[in-house]
Amino acid sequence: MAATFASKCSRVGRSLWGGLGNNLSGLLSASHETACNHFLSQQRTFIQMRTVLKVVDNSGAKKVMCIQALKGKKGARLGDTIIASVKEAYPNGKVKKGKVVYGVVVRAAMQRGRCDGSEVKFDDNAVVLVDKQGQPIGTRVFGPVPHELRQKKHVKILSLAGHIA
Amino acid sequence: MFGFSCESNLVLFSFCLRFSRESSEMRLDKCWFCSSTLYPGHGTQFVRNDAKIFRFCRSKCHKNFKMKRNPRKVKWTKAYRRLHGKDMTQDFAFEFERKHNRPERYDRNVTENTLKAIRTIDKVRVTREIKHIERRMTGKKAKELREAQKELEQNISLVKAPAVLREDPSLTLPIKLKVSQKQAEAHLMEE
Repeated sequence: MAATFASKCSRVGRSLWGGLGNNLSGLLSASHETACNHFLSQQRTFIQMRTVLKVVDNSGAKKVMCIQALKGKKGARLGDTIIASVKEAYPNGKVKKGKVVYGVVVRAAMQRGRCDGSEVKFDDNAVVLVDKQGQPIGTRVFGPVPHELRQKKHVKILSLAGHIA
Repeated sequence: MFGFSCESNLVLFSFCLRFSRESSEMRLDKCWFCSSTLYPGHGTQFVRNDAKIFRFCRSKCHKNFKMKRNPRKVKWTKAYRRLHGKDMTQDFAFEFERKHNRPERYDRNVTENTLKAIRTIDKVRVTREIKHIERRMTGKKAKELREAQKELEQNISLVKAPAVLREDPSLTLPIKLKVSQKQAEAHLMEE
């Protein structure tokens, strides 16, 4: 699914480029247009295998790569748990590089529907590392966190969070 | 946008269930870009990493935001209109809409009176806004007429040769009926 998506996007991008190259005169304006179009036609998708996520707690890890999305055929979304492998870590932390951990997705660039019919989306993909029972490994959480977590019973993460979106 | 359609069905279903359980507070927000009201079930919200929430009424506003356009420079937004004096800004009727974050103790009479007041205040505000726009537009017709007359006087030679006008003075202005005819003629010729 990701592969077909990527190929579709690249095809669209290339055709756009071709069309724009013909119409626009200035090189600067052309590059600006393509940047704008890239922004607008970006399709945000699920968090799946090989998705790199930012870690927003003080457990010691910095970047984590998803290796499995528990629950969900197409991938994980906001509020779901994933199994991930630590790719980048701070030198002295509870978690070292290469370790396989569980994580709860606290920010997702893909929009998620709320029960009142509206949708929320965040700026990036971020995760909070948890243990098998669902208790966070770290003691602080940075950045905003959605209140979808309350429904998923991740109350501890909500209590550690600075802002609740 | 695939997984989304199944999600929305689920959402609608669970909404009916959840609505009975949770006491959901309905709040009418404003679109960040165009300042139109956001009713429940409409729009999207984007949460930035500094925890600032941007609410949009539709994808048009959202796309403009993604293009990093400044709403104060985009002509059709309320922000532009208020900034450039096209819509009323300072009025007593707006004072009533100020949001207070302190909770009010429930009083049935207060609630009833507030609901009645909302209706009348809204009416007053709308009539005042219409008046503001009318006031802004007064004298526009007269001004247009004056400008058209002036243009005719100066540039009639583009339409009719001055030799013809000298021979037949009845063709020159300024009889009111004749002016409107000449106006139409001049416009047609110019186009």
